[in-house]
Amino acid sequence: MQLKTYLIDDDSLSIYLTEQLLRAEEFSTVIHTFQSASQALQRLVQEKEPPPQVVFLDLNMPVMNGWQFLDALAPYEDKLLGRCHIYILTSSLALSDLEKSKEYDLVSGLIHKPIDTEEIRAIQSQLNTQEPSAGPG
Amino acid sequence: MNNSDMLLGNVEFAQSPEPALLLDAAGTIRLVTAGLAQLVRQPAGELLGRALADLATPYKALTAPMAVAQAATGTPTEYEAWLEVPGEALLVSFSLLALPRAVAQPCLLYAVARVLTPTTPAQELLEQERHLSIIFNTMTDVAFVLAAEEEGRRFRFVFVNQAFEKTTGLPATQVIGRLVTDVIPEPALTQVQQYYQRALRSRQPVMWQEVSEYPNGRKIGEVHITPLFIEGPVRSCQLVGIVHDLTRQKETEARLQLSNERFQYAIKATTDAIYDWNIAADTLYWGEGFEQLFGHRLETNPTPFSKWADYVEPAEHHRVVEGLRHTAFRTANEFWQQEYHFRRADGSWAVVFDRGYFLRDAQGQPIRMIGAMQDISDRKEAEEQQRRLTDRLIKQNADLQQFTYIISHNLRAPLANALGYADLLSRIDRNSAVFEESLRHLSTSIQLLDAVLTDVNSILSIRDQQDSGRTEPVTVSQVCRQALVGLQQQLEECGGELRCEIPEGLRILGNRAYFHSIFHNLVSNAIKYRSDARSLLIEIQTTSTSDQHTEITIRDNGSGFDQHQGDVFQLYRRFHSDKPGRGIGLFLVKAHVESMHGQIAVQSVVGVGTQFTLRF
Repeated sequence: MQLKTYLIDDDSLSIYLTEQLLRAEEFSTVIHTFQSASQALQRLVQEKEPPPQVVFLDLNMPVMNGWQFLDALAPYEDKLLGRCHIYILTSSLALSDLEKSKEYDLVSGLIHKPIDTEEIRAIQSQLNTQEPSAGPG
Repeated sequence: MNNSDMLLGNVEFAQSPEPALLLDAAGTIRLVTAGLAQLVRQPAGELLGRALADLATPYKALTAPMAVAQAATGTPTEYEAWLEVPGEALLVSFSLLALPRAVAQPCLLYAVARVLTPTTPAQELLEQERHLSIIFNTMTDVAFVLAAEEEGRRFRFVFVNQAFEKTTGLPATQVIGRLVTDVIPEPALTQVQQYYQRALRSRQPVMWQEVSEYPNGRKIGEVHITPLFIEGPVRSCQLVGIVHDLTRQKETEARLQLSNERFQYAIKATTDAIYDWNIAADTLYWGEGFEQLFGHRLETNPTPFSKWADYVEPAEHHRVVEGLRHTAFRTANEFWQQEYHFRRADGSWAVVFDRGYFLRDAQGQPIRMIGAMQDISDRKEAEEQQRRLTDRLIKQNADLQQFTYIISHNLRAPLANALGYADLLSRIDRNSAVFEESLRHLSTSIQLLDAVLTDVNSILSIRDQQDSGRTEPVTVSQVCRQALVGLQQQLEECGGELRCEIPEGLRILGNRAYFHSIFHNLVSNAIKYRSDARSLLIEIQTTSTSDQHTEITIRDNGSGFDQHQGDVFQLYRRFHSDKPGRGIGLFLVKAHVESMHGQIAVQSVVGVGTQFTLRF
């Protein structure tokens, strides 16, 4: 099975790190990285290709932050639900972010940087159990 | 208690065996002696309140009301009548005599009854004398008779009543038969003798008030002296004196005066402007406070209502003046109170707390309002200062909280990367390219951590400086030139132009290093975020504002930014992801400006340019 992943983070050091950690766990075959949320949004909503199964989204970014990205996705929520799993990946430890993330159905979880092996494997198993229920769509 | 009340309560009179009664001016029986009750064979209580006319039908043409009316004018009157007693009718003569009285007191008449039987003139005379003696001795006023001797040069006491003894403490036996000069001490003596002589000369009653020290205390009396001229073979003259005791009345007046004085002093002691609004006349009577508090001269007092209303702040006029009239005329409220601005004579505005109490009639209509205006300007000012201080502290606190939040977040980001790389490095091939790259990134992350801590240090040092008071007049144009030296090359490379129009002489109280940092940061930002569509132009200008401040504007025609995206001065806030930057420059600029008690504002339009305005 081919797994496509988006990595959205303005911090290049963080992107490189997460990408290497994912590769070390053989998490994904294709990883697209974006240093700007608006670029990722543009690509995601173009619908020229199937959406990524997993998105790692940083919160604290200039111009368009993670929340603004999620708000911009609202019109596409029905199409993406069940097909695209968004994980917030943030260095912030604020509880308010966790609370807020629960308001978004597209958000499957919130992970504090740096992402570790256990967290990567947990996402993998989560995706595998959901695979049958996702249906033919 | 007045004279008539005292008479009506006179137990001695009521118990007297002499048949007599006390009438009011309408001829109604107010008091009877035991002797009279016995004569008519009825209980005394049943006679009270009845008219004399009911009790005794006239024997001659003179009716009871006529006799009463005549006696009330001061003429002693004989009223002969049939007195109905069970089983028989007695022919009785009533001698009516008006009691001396003070002004405004009701008239009372004595009536002494005498059963008519054949008598001799001498007996009649004796009878009359006896009656007079009863009257004199039962009345509460002091009465005395003086005989004028040696053509009015000497006066000798020939009669004093019981009240005289009681009031003066001098027994009748020590007074009767003695000369006035031996009884009355100086200085009163000279004075009373003058009055006696005047009564003799004028042949008219004389009245005055006197204060006397008697053995049983100070007495204030109203003295009436009536001269009596007895015509006959030997012309003689007597003076009848009645002294009505005013002590109690005078004491009441004195107490009232004292209480009035206390009120006057209380008004003096208070700094409030006390007023009394006469609502029918629409005038205000002011206490002294009004002139003292607001400096307005009162040409008249009371003043027209407008004297107050015209000085109320025009914007508040409706609420205050109309509100007062509404409360007065459209409600039944007892109190009215309002806070408003009131113009002083010097044109300044006082903050006033005004509270008044309405006096209303039985229908609830307002008659007067008594109130006080209190100048609470100082208190208000203090409250306002307190509020400003609180606002500043709240803001500072919020700033600090935000600062802590931002710092912790910006420490956490490089720290998380460092942790991640440390983890990664332990799991990958030491000889791979990824290993080398990750090691480099680990180092960078740690340097970034250090940079954040350095930022914290420099920010805290500005806060430390803020209240140190180490300021000097800074020549702004000079500092600006120095700050631009290091940027000249960058400016030339991009083909930009900078026009600095700061007057050479302009000095602002502050910190040189801060001004240097401000100009350096703002100009380097302008260069960094220039527009590719046109050549860069930076203009620096100063203006003096009308309120004694100086404004410095730094304007560029660069790419601008979207102000709706958030506060550009916030720490680590970035608006451009395409240019390197840490988001601390403008935060420091703002901290520097504010530590010198200045303000900074920004206006920016995307694609047009940005203007920063500094105000000192």
